[in-house]
Amino acid sequence: MSAAGKRVARGLDTPFEERLFQRVVLLVPLAGLALFFLYPLAIVIWRSLLQRDGAVGFGNYREILALDHLWRVVWNSMVMSGLTALICVSLGLVIAYAMSRSRIPLRWLVSLALILPLLAPSLVQALGLIFMFGRNGLLNYLTGMQMQIYGLPGLVIANSMYALPQAVMILAVALRYADRRQYDAALVLGASPWRRFVDITLPSLRFGLLSAGFVCFTVTITDFGNAAVIGGNYRVLASEIYAQVVGQMNFNMGAVVGILLLIPTLLAFYLEKVAAQRGGTQEGAIPVEPDRWAPRDIPLWAASYLTALFLIAIVAVVIFASFVQLWPYKMSLTLKNYNITTHGGYDPLWTSLYASLITATFGTLMLFALVLAQRKMSRGPARLVYLLAIIPVGVPGLVLGLSYVLSFNVKPVFPGILYGSALLIAFCNFYHYHSQGFLTMVTGVRNVPRQLEETVTTIGGGVWANLRDAIIPIMVPTLISVFFFLFMRGMVTLSAVIFLITPKLSVGAVSVMRLDQAGSSTQAAAFSVLIMLTVLAAMGLMRLLLLAQARYNGRPGKGEIAA
Amino acid sequence: MKNTISLLAGLALGVAALPALAGEITVYSALEEDEIAAYLERAAADMPDVTVNLLRLSTGDLGARLIAEAGNPQADVIWGFALTNMLNPAIYDQLAGYDAKGEDALGAQFRDKDGRWFAPTGYVGAFCVNTERLAQLGAPVPTSWEDLKNPAYKGEVVMPDPSSSGTGYLQIAAILQGAGDEAGWQLIKDIDPNMAQYTTSGSRPCRMAQAGEFAIGASLSYVAMQGIDEGYPIQMVIPSDYAGFELEANGLMASAKNPDDAKRFLDWTLGEGAAEAYAARKDLVTIPGVPRSPQAEKAGLPEDLSSVLFPMNFAASGEARDAILTKWRETVGR
Repeated sequence: MSAAGKRVARGLDTPFEERLFQRVVLLVPLAGLALFFLYPLAIVIWRSLLQRDGAVGFGNYREILALDHLWRVVWNSMVMSGLTALICVSLGLVIAYAMSRSRIPLRWLVSLALILPLLAPSLVQALGLIFMFGRNGLLNYLTGMQMQIYGLPGLVIANSMYALPQAVMILAVALRYADRRQYDAALVLGASPWRRFVDITLPSLRFGLLSAGFVCFTVTITDFGNAAVIGGNYRVLASEIYAQVVGQMNFNMGAVVGILLLIPTLLAFYLEKVAAQRGGTQEGAIPVEPDRWAPRDIPLWAASYLTALFLIAIVAVVIFASFVQLWPYKMSLTLKNYNITTHGGYDPLWTSLYASLITATFGTLMLFALVLAQRKMSRGPARLVYLLAIIPVGVPGLVLGLSYVLSFNVKPVFPGILYGSALLIAFCNFYHYHSQGFLTMVTGVRNVPRQLEETVTTIGGGVWANLRDAIIPIMVPTLISVFFFLFMRGMVTLSAVIFLITPKLSVGAVSVMRLDQAGSSTQAAAFSVLIMLTVLAAMGLMRLLLLAQARYNGRPGKGEIAA
Repeated sequence: MKNTISLLAGLALGVAALPALAGEITVYSALEEDEIAAYLERAAADMPDVTVNLLRLSTGDLGARLIAEAGNPQADVIWGFALTNMLNPAIYDQLAGYDAKGEDALGAQFRDKDGRWFAPTGYVGAFCVNTERLAQLGAPVPTSWEDLKNPAYKGEVVMPDPSSSGTGYLQIAAILQGAGDEAGWQLIKDIDPNMAQYTTSGSRPCRMAQAGEFAIGASLSYVAMQGIDEGYPIQMVIPSDYAGFELEANGLMASAKNPDDAKRFLDWTLGEGAAEAYAARKDLVTIPGVPRSPQAEKAGLPEDLSSVLFPMNFAASGEARDAILTKWRETVGR
């Protein structure tokens, strides 16, 4: 490390421009988190302390913890999310590995299959599962079996579909950066492929694996939608919130369960420790080229293809159902389901598109700024930022949505003016998925070699040159992954948004729910198909633009896992 | 990029920041999508100068929304909202007393003594019976809760969980009020072995029955009627022993920004135009002299509903709620 580099790293001689930049990239995202996450969360905490008798205290907590069925529900949740995380991380590793380290044929098809669960509303995916595996579903009908999908098995399958793409997104980013020289050296020393995997790949993936496991566990322990449709009698904690808030209209008790559900995010303390062991990517790392090796490739590919096939099949059933007269009794084909006359027709779809673009653009910028800031911070504050960024994943959508009503439906012009706007829906969706985006970004930025930045700084490049020449080129694939992830979730997320729509403003995911509530699952399927088409068209267009820009800049665009 | 964002932000806020205009009211409703469309069409014809901005959510979601908004209520009128939920103090306290025109024609049990709500319509607890699936099983069509004890239905009955669904609660309350505590709990216990699932949502059991996933779904009359309308092989059965029902209450929000038009709208919900619209589709109308709807007739509802309905005591069932739910967990244990 050069002397100048050391001085810069220690914050001496830092030019004003750079200090200003550091402030901005830290304070703007923090202000966003404070307003759109901490403030609503504080209100939830406050509500959880308001007792029935009007006093403030821990009475609600005592009451909830004394329920005899609570511990069974907690146990159910742990088993369900534990299984889901295990499946998603192992399967996610296999798929991400196959996609980035082997020359898997039909790579695009696997990529496409993996985004399907992100861009179909979860309600419809659960319907797809029931159409396929239900007691009166296709499979039982065709084979005469009596398979039981309701309960733990169905719940784990449905939640794995939801969590797997998120695991793959993080793991793919983690796998993307590695130094081929390490592998070459190991090869020269005679290490077997298995040893190279265990000694080089796995350690470099440790942070990615833990992050993916954390995300899968937390998003599924807080998710209520699948539990309601396919969980049968298998009660989980998230259904308890629903029962308290929606069933018994007992807000404060619901808030208590919401706060209890934050406990798994305490795991983040450990994650952060691992994150602090910075990535070891060296300056001028030579990317690992995908190669072929049959004994490894064949099982990896088989697992990837089977998973892809499964995901495609479920969505295919939904698409098929959208053209069916009356599933499963009149299977003749029709276009009538696409004639949507429910409140607002197709307008909500455009609102969704608009809000989701804001979610994705704003979110990607905020997260990128935050990781840039966090990278330069000293240990203690970095740790705080890290924890703050990671808590949102532990907040169930229902709780987040209600906390937004409590926080933003206020008389003062600010922030009251946001209530009832598409902007608030956009922000809500971003902060709902803040953690997943952040963890992906952190995984990506760990692989920007510090020496490279120092080199750029040493040769006189300022903040902008550093960003342009050192960080952004390496981060582009990660930025794109996060952008598309936020965009897709913004298009289909229902749980929180349902409390933010107004008579004049609704979104596509709500239309899907309405159609289903009005008794027409085939129309709900049809609307979902249109949402999926809209997302795919928008993503295709954005990719074309990126490609054109990359060509213009003379940089080849890299293929992404999430697009 | 930043300019674009601020431009978009401005657009987004513009939509939100419109003040309440004269002649516009905001109505929150839990009525069904298709009936709302029909009623509002009629309302627009009867009151051309009033624009109704309507937010439709399911009963549970709407209740949560109303409580969350209590600090700064947005609605002028609550229209067609389950009475049990309306009586929750967090919502009841937000209502203003208003004696709508025609309210005194309603029976005393269909309106609040302080004038905060009245209920011109309602719905009935009903079984959705999938006749195809039942035929495969070779089991008879059940006609009452007692019938559901038949072991032939093992694993084929679905009903809502009373702790998360108002519909489930109304069914349990009807059984307990009708049979008395001891016999009621015994009945619930006896049916339990046949129950495949206690669902979270109140309409889900009927949806499951209509998809042929289970043979019998205990749900509500309008959900069953929707299914029959869509063409599913569904038969609606109003249990002959303990048919619970729920009233759909209307009320004026104390904070209404446009109380005059809000009151006109409430008057309208009791008027001739609305009554005609109810007669075309509703299964339970409390306004005297309104004939049975064709849908209700097709679905097999009796001419005189009061002959099958068990007289529900809403206030009592609300107070007993916590105790009933606790006991239910103990009895059923799922």
